[in-house]
Amino acid sequence: MNMEERKLSEQESLALITQMINTAKNSFVDTGIGPILWGAVITLCSLVQVAQIQFDFELPVDIWFLAVIAIIPQIIISVREKKLQKVRGWTDQTLSYVWMCFGIGVFLMNFISISYVQQIEPVLREYEQLTQKSTGHLHFWSYATSFLLFLYGVPTIVTAATRKFRSMLLGGILCWVCCVICVYTNIKIDFLLMALCATTSWLIPGIFIRTQFLKQGKLADV
Amino acid sequence: MFKDLDPILHSQLRLAVISLLIGVKEAEFTFIREKTNSTAGNLSVQINKLKEAGYIEVIKQFKDNYPQTTCKITPEGIKAFELYVKNLQSYLTAGK
Repeated sequence: MNMEERKLSEQESLALITQMINTAKNSFVDTGIGPILWGAVITLCSLVQVAQIQFDFELPVDIWFLAVIAIIPQIIISVREKKLQKVRGWTDQTLSYVWMCFGIGVFLMNFISISYVQQIEPVLREYEQLTQKSTGHLHFWSYATSFLLFLYGVPTIVTAATRKFRSMLLGGILCWVCCVICVYTNIKIDFLLMALCATTSWLIPGIFIRTQFLKQGKLADV
Repeated sequence: MFKDLDPILHSQLRLAVISLLIGVKEAEFTFIREKTNSTAGNLSVQINKLKEAGYIEVIKQFKDNYPQTTCKITPEGIKAFELYVKNLQSYLTAGK
């Protein structure tokens, strides 16, 4: 449609408004790299954690540092995507804030958990010595995974509902289902469920988004 | 009694620009040109008219050493668009 400066009929005006609003609505850019990155990192960290518990070994560094390091490529990806974006929608900023709050929320959640574990650990040790009973079922991280999975679900569901990503929505719902299951399972199963949730919420939808993005040929160099 | 449709908006390209901008926070000139399939010269003239009417804000800046023009709708532009749609609806309802 080549547009000139001409007067329109009422019907033509309405049709044009509808067409342009739909064009704007479908013009957001999602490269899928972010969800793939985080899906892969969290899945890997969770599976390594499961392996450490199963085969009773410890890595010289905490595998979860990988999640902290992954913030660097995420910043680079965000800056590059922002530079290449020709249009900024109303939801873009909102979703950025939702994910930023999620990131801070995960950090705070871990900080609270670590602080709590440090305080409760001596009490549990003393209890074990006095009663000769195991306190393994009271391992705090087993409960923390429930809170983390609940947190994972929030931005995932908000993003999926806003962007209409069906597969991501299912992943987000699975996070909430698993956060309840985790209350009743041991820590090894908890981390397995965490790996499952990261794969279904971010990695698989990210691959779908990436495939669709490359098909559309939008910003192919991102 | 029908109210006159806003002459600033009742033009194909200007209405297309405003309809695009109503759905986004801001958009680059190149994006608007691509989506409206218009020429740079014509679009530039129409954008200027919308800017003069106070319906849009035009931000000119440099990004990576290249000039970049970004447009965004103003509150006045939103009001004008809403009124235009309302008046348009009254025409269409009466025509049924």
